[in-house]
Amino acid sequence: MEDTLKKIQQSYLQKISEAKTLKELDEIFLSLFGKKGEVTLLPKDFSKLSEEEKRKIGPLFNQVKQALEGGIVRARVKVREEIYKALEDEKFTLQPLRLQANPDLIGTKKRKGHLHLATQFKKEIIDLFEKLGFSQFDAPHIELDKYNFEDLNIPKDHPSRDMWDTLYIDTINLKVEPGQMLLRTHTSNFWSRLMEKNKTPIRAMSFDRCFRYEAVDARHSHTFNQFEIAVVGENITMANLKYLSDYLLKAILGKEANSRFRPKYYPFVEPGVGIDSLCVFCHGKGCKICSGTGWFEIAGAGMIHPNVFKATGLDPKKYSGLAWGFGPDRILMLKHGIEDIRYFLEGDLKFLEKY
Amino acid sequence: MIVSLNWLKELVEYKLNPQDLANKLSLISIGVKELTENCLELDLTYNRGDLLSLRGVAREIAAITSSKLLFSAPDPSCYQWTNQTLHKTPVEIEDEKLSSVQCIAKIEGLIVEPSNPGWVKKLEDSGIRSVNNLVDVTNLMMLEFGQPFHAFDAKFISDETIIVRRAKNGEEITTLDNKLRKLTSQDIVLADTKGAVDVGGIMGGKDTEIKESTHTILLSASTFNSVMVRKTSKKLGLYSEASKRFQHGLTKTNLLAALAAAIKMYESLGGKLVAVNIVGDLEEKPKTVKLTQKKLNDLLGISIDPEFILSSLEKLGFKVLASQGLTLRAWEVKVPYWRLDINIEEDLIEEVARIYGYDKIEGKPLDDKLPEKLDESLPDFIYKLKKACKDIGLIEVQSYPFYSTNVLTALAFTDEYRKYLIKIANPISLETEYLRINIWPNLVEVVGKNLRRGHNDIAIFEIGKSYHKSYVGKEIPEEGYVLSIALCNRTNNPLAELYKIAENLCVHLRGVELKVGKPSKVVTDLFHPNRFVHIEKDGKPIGGMAEVHLRVLNKLGIEKRVAVLEIEI
Repeated sequence: MEDTLKKIQQSYLQKISEAKTLKELDEIFLSLFGKKGEVTLLPKDFSKLSEEEKRKIGPLFNQVKQALEGGIVRARVKVREEIYKALEDEKFTLQPLRLQANPDLIGTKKRKGHLHLATQFKKEIIDLFEKLGFSQFDAPHIELDKYNFEDLNIPKDHPSRDMWDTLYIDTINLKVEPGQMLLRTHTSNFWSRLMEKNKTPIRAMSFDRCFRYEAVDARHSHTFNQFEIAVVGENITMANLKYLSDYLLKAILGKEANSRFRPKYYPFVEPGVGIDSLCVFCHGKGCKICSGTGWFEIAGAGMIHPNVFKATGLDPKKYSGLAWGFGPDRILMLKHGIEDIRYFLEGDLKFLEKY
Repeated sequence: MIVSLNWLKELVEYKLNPQDLANKLSLISIGVKELTENCLELDLTYNRGDLLSLRGVAREIAAITSSKLLFSAPDPSCYQWTNQTLHKTPVEIEDEKLSSVQCIAKIEGLIVEPSNPGWVKKLEDSGIRSVNNLVDVTNLMMLEFGQPFHAFDAKFISDETIIVRRAKNGEEITTLDNKLRKLTSQDIVLADTKGAVDVGGIMGGKDTEIKESTHTILLSASTFNSVMVRKTSKKLGLYSEASKRFQHGLTKTNLLAALAAAIKMYESLGGKLVAVNIVGDLEEKPKTVKLTQKKLNDLLGISIDPEFILSSLEKLGFKVLASQGLTLRAWEVKVPYWRLDINIEEDLIEEVARIYGYDKIEGKPLDDKLPEKLDESLPDFIYKLKKACKDIGLIEVQSYPFYSTNVLTALAFTDEYRKYLIKIANPISLETEYLRINIWPNLVEVVGKNLRRGHNDIAIFEIGKSYHKSYVGKEIPEEGYVLSIALCNRTNNPLAELYKIAENLCVHLRGVELKVGKPSKVVTDLFHPNRFVHIEKDGKPIGGMAEVHLRVLNKLGIEKRVAVLEIEI
């Protein structure tokens, strides 16, 4: 047995050292460690050995196994390094070098391009509100506490901060105090940034990414989209909010959809509104999607809080404003029966092309 | 807040069935999480601290259903300590910033027993386990009034003295849950003459808890600095029913009413009140808020008449001060003591609106006068470019804003290089620790995933943000949009095709030039040594395209060649 082991080790180490391609090494690996590989089969004969021999052969077997495995790993690295070195000889050329058996497939068959579902939905919603005179306004993803929280009437140490699980930026080598810079938790930082410019009236919107400290599962993601509108002027009312709410819901969910307003607390609005949509999947009769109630929660909204006006330098006695926001990812999931939010960002082509 | 429906019936005479009641609450007052046979679970909101008590919920239900309340307003003239001369237990508040009121009542002659079935049911319906009769009183009173209590075994409180003070740095206490807690001067404690006996507003100490042998208790009721309680709670990771209520703020009127009721319950168990001490500032400062009909109608966009406004407010416990009169349509409104969330006119408007019914507000379009358009050239351009990429046959991907650990390993980022990446201070996992500075590595990762799923021709793009640590005269780090493309096309020179794709896209990118060259030193390990193209716009570098180095690809499990492009837009 000892001799067999030594022989295997010797002959294969030789083969390994001579191998020039990854393919050859793969074959060697298989003939050693595959289902019927020589090393794989060896332990079957161990039962025939005496106890004394077993004590000797056991460690030796492991030694040989490790030597061969290590040899292959090192040889692979060596072969790869040679391949990497050979790259030096490859020149820049516009000639495609063909690998496949059927060269006709390359470049000639036109690919079908595709836009991400979220991009299509964004375009649809943006166009809807462009018609009403809204403009897109982009706000930063990496944001100061001031614009994400303080200016939006969410003071430091207020319990309402617990409504947002926040990812903070490591501020070492950045010019701010720890805890003062974060990944924005909502698109609402666009209103504090826009209102601060003091150019009224405002009709603005944003469809963009937000971030939360959230473990990822089928229904939750740390990175997700929000769509939000903000209107500021001298006579903006809750009746306007209701109109815009119905306008959007009917456009994206169908004529039957309308919104139902309920009181809801958000620190940056007063009055605050929780918005349900009539469940278009069961026509309000009650189904799984709406938990049998005929309505499902879809958005948060309200009249912009006077403290937000004050923080951004606008006079709350002169101006009023409304804001309305929702999570487009969730609506897309409902509309298309998509069961896992992770599909949006994982880049599976089959999923992307389906929608 | 879990509301026991049976208990609620003792406090308000409502006629609705539970389902209708739940619907009404969610449309007028507060979200309802769940309705079961025995209870109603309300959402926790950060404004309505008053709804963290059964009495508060009962008051709200009485207002929105026009039902009768079965308890009367607190009457200080009936409190036990008002009508008799009692000893004073030693109580001290070291700093009024920590606590505005501290009450200690000493009750003797008690015997620890299991609670009667009625109490046990009330607690269980409210989601709280029954402990014994003496402890249960504190929880029952907290549920009914929203005022937390703590009962100490008087025998174990040195000198029967309670001092409200800051903890000493490093001071230790074993809390009721048997855990040793280390405190700092940022935490409030109740202490006796020897040391801390309770983490203020959060949890009592183990040594002084009620035991089988307890006969005399010191019952404590306090208000605490809510911000400090919140911070301590966060730091210790200890959230209790009590800390929740302290965070929302408590009222002195309610505290005294609850204390009187608690003492009454101990008396019903055979206890005798022998000493009491109430220190601090007991004065409740009533708030008044101005309301005008004009502001209300202007904000809601409807017309609500004065009679309705006044009756709605009165139903909810507000007192409208008559002096201003109906003719002026402006009122001074006195806020009931339990509504700590009402501070400004808009708060009152919300109150009237919800009684009126949010849902009765009819939609009205915005006026036709359109504001000036903002500069939308960037979003417009991004959409145009996305369309162009699609028309050329590319599939749009949206990837995570972070570098995964696989990507970080494949790029062999040294600590030196990681310094350029924006780092998350509290990552959820190692997969969310660094923000991407380029998009192409994430696209290559996506190529790898799809190759493993059996695709062999992959042409994808993403337009999204990349994040840089540099500042350009701004208060926040630079983040900008980039276009990135990755191509794996069954040849071992995908850059040839990508070059053509880039030439086609140049139609949309004015002033852009492609210049074949070599990767700069910094990125030689990432790209093929010869297959590299610099991309410039008006003579300035804006990015490049290249075949990704096989070493990087191999590390991401890719054996094929992949070319990428990335430019700032």
